Parts: sequence; structure tokens; C-alpha cells
Amino acid sequence: MKSSPIGLLVAVALGIFPAQSWAQAKAGKVTVAGKAAAAKDSKGVIDADASGDAAASAGTDAAPAAGDTPAAGDTAGDTGEETGETPTGSGLEDICKIDPAACPNLDMDKEAARPLKEQIFAVQQAYALRVRRFELQAGWSVSMNDQFVGHPAPVLALNYYITNVLAIGVNGAYYAPFNVDKDFNAQVRRAARVAVPLTEYQWGAALNFTYVPAYGKFAGFGDFIFHYDAYVVGGVGALSVRPIPVIDPDNRNFAFEPKLAFNAGIGLRIFFNRWFAAVLEVRDYVFNDKLENLSTSTVPAKAQDKSTWYGETSLTNNVQAQFGAAIFLPFSFDYRLPK
Amino acid sequence: MGKGRGMTITKQKTIKRLVSVLAAALALFTFIERAEAQQILLTGPLAGAPAVRKLRLHRKGRLEFAPAVSFTLLDEYQRTILVGAKLNYAFTDWLSFGAWGAFGAAHLPTHLTEQVQGVNASRRATPGESLDKDLTAVNLGPDFKKQLGTMDWVVAPQLTAVPFRGKLALFQSIYLDTDLYFFGGPAFVGLNERKNCEQCNGVFTMATRTAIAPTFGLGFNFYINKWAAIGFEYRGLPFSWNTGGFDTAGGGKDKKFPDNKITNDDRQFAFNQLLTLSFNVYLPFQYKVSE
Repeated sequence: MKSSPIGLLVAVALGIFPAQSWAQAKAGKVTVAGKAAAAKDSKGVIDADASGDAAASAGTDAAPAAGDTPAAGDTAGDTGEETGETPTGSGLEDICKIDPAACPNLDMDKEAARPLKEQIFAVQQAYALRVRRFELQAGWSVSMNDQFVGHPAPVLALNYYITNVLAIGVNGAYYAPFNVDKDFNAQVRRAARVAVPLTEYQWGAALNFTYVPAYGKFAGFGDFIFHYDAYVVGGVGALSVRPIPVIDPDNRNFAFEPKLAFNAGIGLRIFFNRWFAAVLEVRDYVFNDKLENLSTSTVPAKAQDKSTWYGETSLTNNVQAQFGAAIFLPFSFDYRLPK
Repeated sequence: MGKGRGMTITKQKTIKRLVSVLAAALALFTFIERAEAQQILLTGPLAGAPAVRKLRLHRKGRLEFAPAVSFTLLDEYQRTILVGAKLNYAFTDWLSFGAWGAFGAAHLPTHLTEQVQGVNASRRATPGESLDKDLTAVNLGPDFKKQLGTMDWVVAPQLTAVPFRGKLALFQSIYLDTDLYFFGGPAFVGLNERKNCEQCNGVFTMATRTAIAPTFGLGFNFYINKWAAIGFEYRGLPFSWNTGGFDTAGGGKDKKFPDNKITNDDRQFAFNQLLTLSFNVYLPFQYKVSE
């Protein structure tokens, strides 16, 4: 019985506490406490504005002081609040009165003129760490280089980041119901009386390595910031394909066969938060394709002989563009260093 | 009776505990929600600070001259490499006006074109009449490559908007300012394609015309110093043209069947796409810096 009111009281307290935070002045209005903190840099309090400027002037102009690193912003804000509540100045004066030897005797102008030797990173603290996290990708893929047959497909990928920049993973695509034999093929056959061998895909799967050499951030409309990274990916797997019978569709009916396929590509991830990102990727799957035989026999028995259906082989590039989303698991992570 | 009272008390306890837990959970949920919102409500010296400070204004008030090479994508019969340049003047750092112009420096036949011409040549080398020869008399001349539609030049006045500015760390050792931009405008495209004809057997003369089409796309700039950048651009240039010089339409139901004539109906809609690589030079050489 007694535990219930306590629980309710805790609940109410928890509910009220953040409500007070809500009541704080919105960004754009500097509080008195904050101003006090900013003005106090000459007395040893870190001026967040000044540090932001230093970072910017050190070659990180696009590095925002506020929006970039919320943690830094929060800290600065908190510092301002706490310092503002303490009667400033009197503390130091008291120390000097009690023990003149302990009185700080610094020429603040001289100290301020000293060059800062702080190590500045162009991109302070990567927004989303990948190391020891799984990345689950889902998206839609379309063919970029096949004018004759479209190969759209849903795709799934799972990567595990061994380091922050290197991952091993698998991906798969299911093409079978989505192949599109374009009108253009029939138009060419009709106009030139030339048949072009066509190939359709069933599925593809590969084991891949992903390397992330580049990351950065964009400021959108000078107002908000989002982070992105670019990666290269490569691997080996299989692509199940078969010819679409064009030369002799009455007698030929091909079965899907998996082919060894190598792949290489590049991708771009745009992070919406630390575990969810949009993905744009272009990847080339290279495989040795067995094409339909361009000639057929007029003798029915020979025309139905499967050994006569296949013609030349051709090294084929299947360039796919993929649009999708990525989810990183676990959702949260810890930075090794504070900055 | 006593048992029933005991059960009632137990039920009351259970309900109260349940209510307490739910209330606590709700409060915690509320707490988390509000705590997240709290992060962006900065007070203190950072309050009101812009998202980006000391931004290098690579574009504002500067003229951009960018020699560029463009490659067409997903071509049916012929790939075109266009050589040209882009000239822009930026009124602000996020809006500029200018033009892109290029001419078709190289026209490279695709594998399909080689195949069609291979069959066409062997067909023509065979003496006598044949059904294939009769049925392709309107469509295939002696050299298929010479009847292909070509993109000879393009001039496109365009507006460029630059909503995204940022930077890129490459291998943690190379740092570049970047921007992502979008552009659009009308394009004037000089084409050379098969001339319209009524009696087209054996007639494969070509004619030039200017197509007007919308053009749009997006691009990335990677600034390598104060006055130069490398640009990558994707451009869509959709319009209808007769890429193969074939009689494809104009007859039958809905004019979707051949009519043994070359007419405007034979121009098929094509979503022409180009990838452009450019080297951008900015004048004056010095950029401004925002507050």
C-alpha cells in the first residue's frame, strides 16, 4: 500500500523535473548566467564561443560550435549556468586576502595571446561510430547499364564492422519477378530484323568487404547539420541468370543457373541519427554470361536439343544503383575519447 | 466472506501497483522525450549561435568557370562524350545563375550498333532479293552508324541552388570543403538525325534540328584550394528523338506501328542522362568568410 504513493510521487517528480527544463529560454536568447560565463573568460572560465572560433579559424570553418557537437554545447551551457550562480570575483579576492601567496598572479592578456596547441580534428568526433556494430541495409536496386532488360530488385545486406572503417558482410537481391523486357527490344527486332540475346536474373548473393575512407558533414541551408560517409565495397558471390529465349522461343526454355560473380562499388550514407541512415550505392556485378545461340535448326528434334541452345559466353557487367536505409545495431555506442 | 475480502484487498493492491508502475513508466517516457528535446535548447554563450560560423563563402560574389567533360549514360546505339564549360555567377553563396555549353566531341557506337551493322553488312553482301532486305529497306542504310541520331551541341542556361555546404575527411589526412547543389533550366540541344521522308527506301539523308528540353540535376564540388574545385555532376536531359533512324511509329492503331515513312512520330522519348567531371576555377581568387 505504502509503496504505491511513493511510486506516484516519484513519477510526478520525474514528470515535473523535465518540464522545468522546457521552460528555459529558447536558443537565440542568451541568459544572464550565460553572458556572465562568457564575460568571465579572463578569470579562467572557458569561453565556449572563443573555443569555437579557434576551431573554426584552425581550418575547420564549417565546424559549428553549436550544432555540431551537442555535448560540447551542453557543457558550455552548463558551465555558464553554474558559474553564473556563484558570486563571481569574490572567490578570488577572498583567496588573495587569506593567503596572498596563493593568489593567482597571471597576466591574462599575455595568457590569452599564447598560441593554442590543442589538437584540432577537421571533423571532431565522428558522429556515428561503426566499430563492433552491425549494419542492416534494406533497399531497392535498379540496373544502370542494361538498355534491354531492366533488373530492379529488393536488396538486403548485413555488415559487421570489425574496425570503424572496415566491415565484413553479406548481401542479397531477388530479381526474379521484376525483370522487364523493354519495348525497345521488339522495336529493334522489327526494324532491323536483328535479335539481341537477352538475359534475366533470378537472385544474387555475395560476401563483401566494406571500407569507409571518407566521412564528413553538411550544413543544410546554414541551419541544420547532417553527417555522411562514403564507402567502397567489393566481394564475391553468385548471380543466378538465364537467357530470355528470343531466337527460338517455341523450342527453348532455359533454366536459371548460378554464376560466379565478383562485385565492386561505392556508396554514400547520410545519417539521420546515430543509428539510422539513408544509403545510395552503385555496384558493378561482373559475371560470365552464357548467351542464347543466335541460330537454330529447322529440324524440330535438333531445335529441341538443349545442347544447341547456348551460344557464346560474354563477360557481363551488371551495374546496379541501390537506394535504401541502414540501421546500425546496437543503437547506442560509447566514444573512447571525450572529443 | 473473509476470503472474498482478502481477494478484494489483493486486487486493490495489484491495481494500485499497476497504476504506480504505469505512472512511473509514463513519467520516465516523458522524461526521456523531454530530455532529448532539451539538447537543442542551448542557453549560455552558445545560445543563438548559427549552425555554421566562419564559413568559407566559396561562391558568393564570384564567377565560376568550369571546363567540363560529360559522358552520356544508358545509350542505345551511340555514346557521346561532350566537351564544354560551365559559367556561373553567384549572387549569394547559395544561388547562382549561368549556363553550361558543350559540343559532342566523340560519338562511340555501342555493341548493339556493331551487331546490327554486322548483320546488315552480311545481308547486303548476299546477292539477290530476300525477305530481310525487303523488310529493312526503309530502316537500314549501307552503314548503320551513319544514320544514328547524334547530339552535336548543348547550351543550357540554368539556375543553381546550393542548399548544402560541408566538409569531407578522406583517410583522416585530406580535408576538403564540399557542397551539394541542384540546378535546372531549359536546354537547347543541337541534333543531327535522319531527315523526314515520305518515300524512304534507300534514302538515308540526315538533317539538323534544335530540340528544346528541360534539364536538371545535382552535383558535388570538392574545393581543393581557395580558387579551384573538382566537380561531379549528374544531369537529366529528357526529350524525344530518333536515335536509330528507324521507322518505329506513325501507322496503325495509336500510330504505334511503322508506316514506311520517317516522321516526327518516329522520335521516341528518351530520358538522356549525363555524368560530368569538371575543374572549377573561381574568380576572384580570394573567397569571403562569413561571421
